[in-house]
Amino acid sequence: MDNTLLDIRNLKTYFFTEEGSVKAVDEVSLKINKGEVLGLVGESGCGKSTLSFSILRLIRDPGRIVGGEVWFDGVDLLGLSESEMRKVRGGDIAMIFQNPMSSLNPVFTVGSQIAEAIELHQDAKKSEIVKKIVEILSKVGIPNPTERMDDYPHEYSGGMAQRAVIAMALSCNPKLLIADEPTTNLDVTIQAQILELMKALRKDFGASILLIGHDLGVISELSDRIAVMYAGKLVESSDLEGIFQKPMHPYTQALLESIPRLDVKTERLRIIPGTVPRLIKPPPGCRFHPRCEHAMKICSEQEPQLTEVDKGHTVACYLYTANNKSNRSR
Amino acid sequence: MSETMLEINNLTKYFPIYGGVLLRQVAAIHAVDGVSFDIKRGETLGLVGESGCGKTTLSRVALRLIEPTAGAVRYLGRDLFKLSNQEMRKLRLEMAMIFQDPYACLNPRMTLADIVGEPLTIHGLARGEERKRRIVELVKKVGLAPFHMYRYPHEFSGGQKQRIGIARALASNPKFLVADEPVSSLDVSVRAQILNLLEDLQEEFGFTYLYISHDLSTVKHMCDRVAVMYVGKLVELAPTKEIFANPQHPYTEALISAIPIPGRRASEKRIILKGTVPTPIDPPPGCRFNPRCAFSQPVCAKEEPEFIETRKGHFVACHLRK
Repeated sequence: MDNTLLDIRNLKTYFFTEEGSVKAVDEVSLKINKGEVLGLVGESGCGKSTLSFSILRLIRDPGRIVGGEVWFDGVDLLGLSESEMRKVRGGDIAMIFQNPMSSLNPVFTVGSQIAEAIELHQDAKKSEIVKKIVEILSKVGIPNPTERMDDYPHEYSGGMAQRAVIAMALSCNPKLLIADEPTTNLDVTIQAQILELMKALRKDFGASILLIGHDLGVISELSDRIAVMYAGKLVESSDLEGIFQKPMHPYTQALLESIPRLDVKTERLRIIPGTVPRLIKPPPGCRFHPRCEHAMKICSEQEPQLTEVDKGHTVACYLYTANNKSNRSR
Repeated sequence: MSETMLEINNLTKYFPIYGGVLLRQVAAIHAVDGVSFDIKRGETLGLVGESGCGKTTLSRVALRLIEPTAGAVRYLGRDLFKLSNQEMRKLRLEMAMIFQDPYACLNPRMTLADIVGEPLTIHGLARGEERKRRIVELVKKVGLAPFHMYRYPHEFSGGQKQRIGIARALASNPKFLVADEPVSSLDVSVRAQILNLLEDLQEEFGFTYLYISHDLSTVKHMCDRVAVMYVGKLVELAPTKEIFANPQHPYTEALISAIPIPGRRASEKRIILKGTVPTPIDPPPGCRFNPRCAFSQPVCAKEEPEFIETRKGHFVACHLRK
């Protein structure tokens, strides 16, 4: 219990549009332990980014967090004032986004942007700040940091810019780092460099990481535990081995079989019929049931709850809830 | 094997860069630099490489959508660059392209029927009822329904849009298709649908594909042979099985080892390349990979390695593999 860093309980984030409310994150509960890397996977529009923005309370109109709690290090973030929240953002919780160029301001030097982050959260003299910037830039592998800190973002390549963003995120020694598709825009060889860097930094800084992505390969590289999201709901979570060797939820199973793999020869890729449902009017019951080959009567009537089926392996599916086995006919 | 569909010989494309007060040419981007290979009828050739390596330019020049700086492309024996515009236009019927971004390649003001029917009209292939019948047939072929025909692109999902792009490509009964990153903008579960569709169509119509991608996992799944490109040059070409089991070029090896495998924690064996891809404006002398190569010899920085067959069907451009 003491080991928990982030504890999200029944979080609900809805977007209120003219067409109706979009339940982007619907009663999601999630825990991240200290020093743990949690991989959050799901397809686009499943709510994984909304979930991460909700943690930092960065949801903008017409979106709103309508329910739940976000406990971080013993404090409910949803209960903080805006000015208190501002101290948390970039301080105890830092975030890295998908496109490094868009998270850097093009008209300021990289160094001055890192300095801004440090000034906001720490009491430091100017000379100390410069020393710190150089130190952190060299830690993320930027060559000649003393000179490169005076460069503008456009003078950096994509991989370098992502390194700079990581440096900025780590400059205030965060306890939690949220990385939203940190390598999606990068070439594979550069992606390998960034993953290697994140692995090394994890050892150095000991921060917990919430790693968000759709590439199961990238997620596997770093994660201790993996949570799978589908249409605003958490459907399964387990350690790496549990998800890949013994996937339980039919969505997770189908997802794993639908990707071409370098290590396994597949003749024919599995197809998940249909498309991801619109979240304005999600299907009743289990949101995956219209696309599920094991769907039973109960699946369209009641919503399955996340249940611990195996040690540390939770899944929201009626196939694994024993007393519903009688319903399996259809 | 079977007959050669496309023979690319020493193909080169430089894009000039103008500068200075008089706007004289000051430099050139060496996008494609002396590339030679051929594509056999009915096969899927994968062209892989990182962004900016020239794979898209290569495909455009190969279809003569851009004029080359030097070199030749023979399509079923005919030199494309010697054809007149009219002859080229006729030949274009047999070639089609599927693009990466299905959002950008469909005109938002045209309905599905207009989009798929446009090639029929332009090439004068079908009119009136016949045209309509053909559109319905194409729409069904790619897994869409006839009731979709009067909808606009924004009413479709990403995967459906890519299906429309494929239907349009099929309209002129092509033989040779270039698929430029056809699934990289799609979600994983939709990717599988499109890849399977491409395979089914190939089986049914005997298409020849040039499949361009940076994603080695899909390339391994789709392709018979794989060509690897680095800064405008082909560095390796081999049958898929061979190249993944036995990569000969250090760049290919690094590229393959860089792919994270689902369900596997980081392996220690991974080769991490230093630095970044050099700019094609001023590529390094000798082997273009030498500044990043762990096995670089003095000769690598001086002489450009030849692209030679080291084993049957396995070509590589590396001084270490002579």
